[in-house]
Amino acid sequence: MFDFNVCIAGAAGDGVKEAGEVLAKLFSRMGYNVFVYQEYESLIRGGHNASVVRISDRKVHAHRFYYDAMICLEDYVLKNHIERLKGFLIHDAKFECEYSNSFPVPLSEFVKEENLSFLYRNAAALGSFCHLSGVELKFLNEVFQSEYGEKSGVDVELAKIAFDYAERNFDRLMEIPAKKSQDGNVFSGSEAIALGMVDAGLEYYFAYPMTPASPVLHFLAKKKLAYAIQPESEIAAIMMAIGSAYAGKRSATGTSGGGFALMSESISLAAMAEIPLLIILAQRSAPSTGMATFTAQEDLYFSLSPAHGEFPVIVASPLTLKDSYILAGTLLNLAWKFQTPTILLTEKHMTESYENEDLDGVEVEEVDIFSSVTDDVFPRYEITESGISRFAVPPAIVKCNSNEHDEFGITTDDAKMATEMYAKRMRKEEEILKEVKKLEPYWLIKNGQDTIVTWGSNFGAVLEAAEELGYSVLGIRFLRPLILPKLGGNVICVECNYRGLLAGLIERETGIDVARVLRWDGRPFTPEEVKEELARR
Amino acid sequence: MKTSAKITWCPGCGNFGIMRAFEKAVKMIGNARVVVSSGIGCHGKIADYLKVPSFHVIHGRVPPFLTGFKLANPEMISVGFVGDGDAMNEGIEHLIHAARRNTDISIFLHNNGVFGLTTGQVTATSPKGQKGRSTPYGNPENPIEPCSLMLMSGATFVARAFAGDIQKLAQIMYDAMKHRGFSFVEILQPCVSFNNFWGIRDEIKWVERADSVQTALKLCSDKKVCGVFYQKEDETFEEAIYRIYRR
Repeated sequence: MFDFNVCIAGAAGDGVKEAGEVLAKLFSRMGYNVFVYQEYESLIRGGHNASVVRISDRKVHAHRFYYDAMICLEDYVLKNHIERLKGFLIHDAKFECEYSNSFPVPLSEFVKEENLSFLYRNAAALGSFCHLSGVELKFLNEVFQSEYGEKSGVDVELAKIAFDYAERNFDRLMEIPAKKSQDGNVFSGSEAIALGMVDAGLEYYFAYPMTPASPVLHFLAKKKLAYAIQPESEIAAIMMAIGSAYAGKRSATGTSGGGFALMSESISLAAMAEIPLLIILAQRSAPSTGMATFTAQEDLYFSLSPAHGEFPVIVASPLTLKDSYILAGTLLNLAWKFQTPTILLTEKHMTESYENEDLDGVEVEEVDIFSSVTDDVFPRYEITESGISRFAVPPAIVKCNSNEHDEFGITTDDAKMATEMYAKRMRKEEEILKEVKKLEPYWLIKNGQDTIVTWGSNFGAVLEAAEELGYSVLGIRFLRPLILPKLGGNVICVECNYRGLLAGLIERETGIDVARVLRWDGRPFTPEEVKEELARR
Repeated sequence: MKTSAKITWCPGCGNFGIMRAFEKAVKMIGNARVVVSSGIGCHGKIADYLKVPSFHVIHGRVPPFLTGFKLANPEMISVGFVGDGDAMNEGIEHLIHAARRNTDISIFLHNNGVFGLTTGQVTATSPKGQKGRSTPYGNPENPIEPCSLMLMSGATFVARAFAGDIQKLAQIMYDAMKHRGFSFVEILQPCVSFNNFWGIRDEIKWVERADSVQTALKLCSDKKVCGVFYQKEDETFEEAIYRIYRR
């Protein structure tokens, strides 16, 4: 089975991330499955960036720890990676390198001769990589052309120069043949989330920039897939989303932990006013600013209890890139069906990783919206058995309220009405539970007596480790309501936080003891690391 | 135009005049559709009383709520009732941003210089030295002047009126709602319980609008001067967004 792991490393500003994307698209075109992990620091120039591109015959949802090849653009970043490198190294000939299996290419000289910025060294590096790994240059050129259009000429030319140089100076190390020619649909988790929301009818997206949720905003804005608006703060973002949802348009917002904290009060408002709203919560290392560009799973309890008061809320966390697309769409549909906030809980490792995928399957689930002019106040909060009242929007006289209210939305402190209205809202939880049971609340892959439980982007690494070692895998998709299968044998939970938050939740729900494999260094698990942790037990 | 909700404002409250003037202004507009939002405080109750689509939101958040609504439903005239505590303390940033965006909403500020519903603390518009329950020895802070702030923030319609002069207030509200772009009306609203300034009725001077922001700033610096201080036409936020998206 073909399985190849390449790392491209350099400084911020070297085009490391772009090179990773190009390589992924190249191999996707050649008929392979790809996964890309992006690591970068919170700075604009310099520092250390890395892009790990895994190429495989089979579908994979994780990068590997060890590299079969590496492209290194700056000497000082090599030390971050050298222990992981088990294959060949392409590096800029501007620096010396003692690694035995290395191939210096004068990348800096090539760009200087062409009077170009250092940013273009990535294109040259990919050209030399194509020769050494036995990939036809035409695939690289195709990706450049589809990515950069008219501007791709420079990249194509530099790739050719470096390819020819490598051909003259080095023997080809391997042959990676094209399996089939395909479009090479490679998406990031953010793009998958955006497309899922759009396919579920998203019309307005309001968000304030915050890593790692910003790419959702960028993608929607660039492609004009929905009105994508950047207001003055996270508070404004969610309030604008509530405003457009009150007008009857499907709306969402997205942020990370700090921004979500600011949104908390408005989430409670949306719940009280029964406004449908999707909030994307892309976790990063915390507390506070933590490590702004690194992954984590620390906000589980925060998302389950996102604001003051009791109210129905649906929380789900995608296990794969395709699942990001599906759940983003599902949660937008559920928000409208149940007229309550829903939260897509994900992580930096999901939103900024890439996979090749066909994203389809999400559709708008229409709900009835009354929108005619009325003479009297519409009974927007009619007490019903299911807890769900008819949705109506202006120009109908619809009165929404942050205060407890009667069936017409008028403020009340009346004990009887307050009791009934509160219970009406809470009754939706039973309907939500019934619905979520039908929606694959978890994925259970049976493969052994003992079970590894996981959530979010860890799923990919855990799945591989479990398959090799003979464990069953339970990937939790819906976290609220939490629905669990019967668990026998030993149960081990893998997650990126200090206490084992999901593990604790399962212990409370089931009474069983859950062992924990945890990390909180901002880095995602690789399959090798999960295996090592399990072997140590 | 009233709902069945029981009005719980104190007898003599300036909010009654504001509500009556608003009803008049809506009648003057004719068959146009109006949507209303209000913040937290005594003023916020107006949403319950008016028989129009409304959303009583949370402290200070009326401007972004209406911005989202107006983008999604540009057909309706969007009016925000806000309080001085509500919009000048918490949420002041939203008002400034709505003004600079020129989002096509009308903001009516009920300015009584006091937190009424929480029983008489000072707000950002209370004068230095004013005594309240949280400042028994006098307010240590200088006040914000709302009209100046809005003029400096780029509001395209800025006015001041008095809750006790319903005719003139109704006319100004009408002009504000008819204005294409962000309109701001500061309404001097006496609070009979905690800051009763009904006495200023006879001292109010009405002025004509200025043709520059500089002149308007001078006009509004006297708190007893009312009228439309400034108005200009400009592209609205919604127009800019639709121009970019052309959807």
